[in-house]
Amino acid sequence: MGGGQRFMMLRIKQFLAMAGLTALEAIRQPICLLLSAGCVVLIAAVPLMIMHTFGEDGKQVRDSALAFHFVFGLFIAGHASGTLLSHEMKSGTASAVLSKPVSRELFFLSKFTGITVVVMLFSMCAAIATLLSERVAEKFYFTNTLTGYITDTQTGAMLFGAPFVACLVAALINYRFKRPFASTAFVMLLFSLLFVLVMSGFFERNGTWMPYDFHVQWRIVPVSILITMALVVLAAIAIALSTRLDTVPTLVISSTVFLLGLMSDYIFGRFAENSGFSAFLYMVVPNWQHFWAADALSGGGNVPWEYVINAGLYAAAYSTGILCLGMFSFRHVEMK
Amino acid sequence: MDEQKENDVIVEVHNLVKVFKDFWQRPKVRAVDGLDLEIRRGEIFGLLGPNGSGKSTTIKILLGLLHATSGNVLVFNRSPRDVEIKARIGYLPEESYLYNYLSPCETLNFYGRLFDLKNSVRKERIWQLLEMTGLTHAANRSVGEFSKGMARRVGLAQALINDPELVILDEPTSGLDPVGCRQVKDLMLTLAKRGKTIILSSHLLADVEDVCDRIAILYNGSIKALGSVNQLLEKQESVRFTMPSLSPDVMKKVLELIREKIGKEPEVDHPSMNLEQFFLEVVEKAHKATSQQSGVAPTERMADYLLIKDK
Ligand SMILES: Nc1ncnc2c1ncn2[C@@H]1O[C@H](COP(=O)(O)OP(=O)(O)O)[C@@H](O)[C@H]1O
Ligand SMILES: [Mg+2]
Repeated sequence: MGGGQRFMMLRIKQFLAMAGLTALEAIRQPICLLLSAGCVVLIAAVPLMIMHTFGEDGKQVRDSALAFHFVFGLFIAGHASGTLLSHEMKSGTASAVLSKPVSRELFFLSKFTGITVVVMLFSMCAAIATLLSERVAEKFYFTNTLTGYITDTQTGAMLFGAPFVACLVAALINYRFKRPFASTAFVMLLFSLLFVLVMSGFFERNGTWMPYDFHVQWRIVPVSILITMALVVLAAIAIALSTRLDTVPTLVISSTVFLLGLMSDYIFGRFAENSGFSAFLYMVVPNWQHFWAADALSGGGNVPWEYVINAGLYAAAYSTGILCLGMFSFRHVEMK
Repeated sequence: MDEQKENDVIVEVHNLVKVFKDFWQRPKVRAVDGLDLEIRRGEIFGLLGPNGSGKSTTIKILLGLLHATSGNVLVFNRSPRDVEIKARIGYLPEESYLYNYLSPCETLNFYGRLFDLKNSVRKERIWQLLEMTGLTHAANRSVGEFSKGMARRVGLAQALINDPELVILDEPTSGLDPVGCRQVKDLMLTLAKRGKTIILSSHLLADVEDVCDRIAILYNGSIKALGSVNQLLEKQESVRFTMPSLSPDVMKKVLELIREKIGKEPEVDHPSMNLEQFFLEVVEKAHKATSQQSGVAPTERMADYLLIKDK
């Protein structure tokens, strides 16, 4: 192996070790499990909470479920990126790692990557729950054997049960193999949801056996992906801030940026043509509207993949910029 | 020329100043104030000083974790912020610096993966280090529930995983039991014999006295005394004999002779073991008498790879 290649291999090895550790640390925090399981339970409960609507089946369910995904995701991304790095800097673990041949840039990026992985795992849970919850909601049916509203109670029950089964399995594994509870339960949650998704593919809405017929609306998936992108951008902002600030100021500023971004069109967009300052802010503050596409699904609409790709490019460019600032800040910060 | 220099002087510090600033960039503490040091290959150098005298701050600057306010620092003839030189350094920080939810085995594995080591070499070293620090039986418990001394041992193992040329130990014996202290001291002596350089910070005088070749006494961020231990401690004006007990009349004769020569009464006492030696003997005996172990197993094993002489 050449010197350069060997150098790259080592960097990759270090990066994977540190990112893996970060992800592990994030999911070992009970709050992560609490938020994910809570989100799934709430999404599962949505069909129970709303009246059935004529015509637009599932729209309310879909919208609420996606909103839960977004809000809980914000908490997970914000909490993980606001606490993990600053905790490492305070407790001295960052010093211990940086006294090894690890560059500060790599350390910082690996933290971000670890958190991104956790955000993605959470998003997978939330997206599966959304798909299933939408399926559970009442639908008007008209076939030669049955006519009327059908609620898919079987899938609903399985979806509800998934978080509890995940916790139960994790508790057993903890008892038997002494594996930490929170992280096992988090992983089990994803597995149990996947299992429910596959199982639901074997049954009709009324519970009759019907293999390989998924009654889920895959068009929700691009919308969930867009939400995930927004969460990753927010994680980048929070982790960049946490290189210099404590957890609380980090969370306050990230929330402010988030709120400004929600109203970006309204506050800055209107004036962007006349005022350079507004135009600047309009560009700098992330515009979350790009990532909220739930409305496009109403009336059977779709979100085109080109749109998803464009939004992805916007998110990537935005987070890259933020991460560069974060790396610059982290390079010069003093370690305890 | 440069090559030659790197071979002799490992750490060079010239007129180092470190001022901690507050949020508004106003000076808060002058932790290091005009420090000059030169540490050479193969020596055990002791940084001695009361709490808050700037030992840890100096060490962190040597590692590039803190940035000097002014002055020059060279480690292996490079800037301390150079990532490459870290591959040749092992650092034991002063306090909590371990991931609490990892076990010693996972901790060592993680740190090991940050170095350019073959997997087989890494695994072997982890095993040897665990054995050396007496933690094999606790290898899979999480570090968070360890006692301070046990965590310290994991920290020590972590610092040695890359077989470093320069070992920096910040208060290595704090929290360790006397057996552990003795072991750490022996370890330092062994490493130094192999040509490794060691920087040791401590406020425990016994540690420093036993092992250090040279010491610097810091106070308020500057060096108040610097030199070899013997040189600093020797009292040129007095002499001490140690010999088997004498019979009373021989004793009387000797004392008379001395009194006659120097004109005053000499001090006479029985040399006693120091407490450390005594403690080590007691523990050694107790260990031989029992087979079960709940804390740390006292071992005299040194990790094999640390004993291999460089060519
Ligand atoms: N991060 C910091 N911010 C402000 N002051 C600090 C910081 N770290 C250390 N100090 C101060 O610098 C001085 C030297 O500290 P330190 O080097 O840790 O002492 P020692 O290791 O010799 O006990 C102390 O007065 C301490 O309060
Ligand atoms: Mg100190």
